[in-house]
Amino acid sequence: MANKFGLIDPTDPAFRDESEVALATLVSATAGSSKKIGAKMIVGRSGRIIGGVTIGGCVDAQVVEAADALFDKTHADRQLLSISLDDDEAWEIGLTCGGTLEVLLTRVDLSAGDDPTVAAHRQAMELLSAGEPTAIVTPIAAGGASYAVASEALDDASVGERTFVDRMAPPLTLVIVGAGQIAMSLTRMARELEMRTVIVDGRDRYATRERFPEADDVLVGMPSEIVAAIDANRRTAILLLAHDYKYELPVLRHVLRKPVGYIGMLGSKKRGAAMRDLLRDEGFSDEELARVHTPIGLDLGGKAPPEVALSILSEIVAVYSGKRA
Amino acid sequence: MPDASASADGANPLCGDRIRVELRGNATHVAEARFTADACALCIASASLLTERVRGMSANEALGIDASWLFESLEGEPPSGRRKCALLPLDTLRRAVAALPSA
Repeated sequence: MANKFGLIDPTDPAFRDESEVALATLVSATAGSSKKIGAKMIVGRSGRIIGGVTIGGCVDAQVVEAADALFDKTHADRQLLSISLDDDEAWEIGLTCGGTLEVLLTRVDLSAGDDPTVAAHRQAMELLSAGEPTAIVTPIAAGGASYAVASEALDDASVGERTFVDRMAPPLTLVIVGAGQIAMSLTRMARELEMRTVIVDGRDRYATRERFPEADDVLVGMPSEIVAAIDANRRTAILLLAHDYKYELPVLRHVLRKPVGYIGMLGSKKRGAAMRDLLRDEGFSDEELARVHTPIGLDLGGKAPPEVALSILSEIVAVYSGKRA
Repeated sequence: MPDASASADGANPLCGDRIRVELRGNATHVAEARFTADACALCIASASLLTERVRGMSANEALGIDASWLFESLEGEPPSGRRKCALLPLDTLRRAVAALPSA
């Protein structure tokens, strides 16, 4: 699987010995699903299973069985599998109550150069790599191939009856100002979460590739200038970890009025209040200043750098998942 | 400064102070001097005093500004651990002045 969206990339070594796969996507659930709509499982003709549409158990087993049947060419290329669960069955697989799950299964030919699903996934990956929110549109009722569009270009009127629209956001980019130990832990953990990391510092002995082998970028220079030049959007999170006002104030002046999705600053409540007072005197509003999460991170209690990094990432996950952090 | 005639960047590698000094003019007359910095208060105070001081000077006069003038203007010599913060703008200014075009 190429990335966390479950998109199929035939050049990925994971698919090296697969000629065909079945893509299963959870498209509706009247039961309280433990996975989001859009969760994907890829079943290879060789028996390989990647991902899952539920947390496991009987539903995934039924999906695998249906996928195996799809490889029989006498079947249609696509099947909408409806799985009903009573309360007991639902409980066993981690759902709170019974209901119906619908899983869309599509046969994907990896050896053909023109498989429409592969083309749609390739197009979606290109858009996501360019930072564009993307949707893969699959007409279920009308039939027809899936296609990818930039979310902004998605016209509701063009989406027909019973169409599955799988919206995807580009990966989060963490812009980390301050190349200390917490930042080192963060870049390692962020990779597991498939977040991009950019390290920014004025100190070239700290912001080095040797210290940050996992970072996507390591930038040395005047931090406020570097941050100002970054093309920030809602998928950009700004993390001020230098614990030094000489970086924090100039960077905050740039980012408080940018459409970034998260701003966090290392330091105590007292320090955060002092920083807000200084910026309020410069004309920043309380609403703008309230965007700064300080002390940064959820209060997990840990003090060691990896523990603080974990609390910061936990807060970021919460914020981007729409939870109050 | 979009129309700068000369500029220089300076950094204190361990504390992370970063400064850029930009000058407009030539070796006989510095018409304008500005600085940009992500730096501590002492460094910024020093840069502010120096850029104000250098306006209207020739390059030779500007290169004559020394640490003793700077410390006096700062109303005291900084503690040894902070001398670098005050001296970074002086060093950066000198390099910018040296890069000014001749008249």
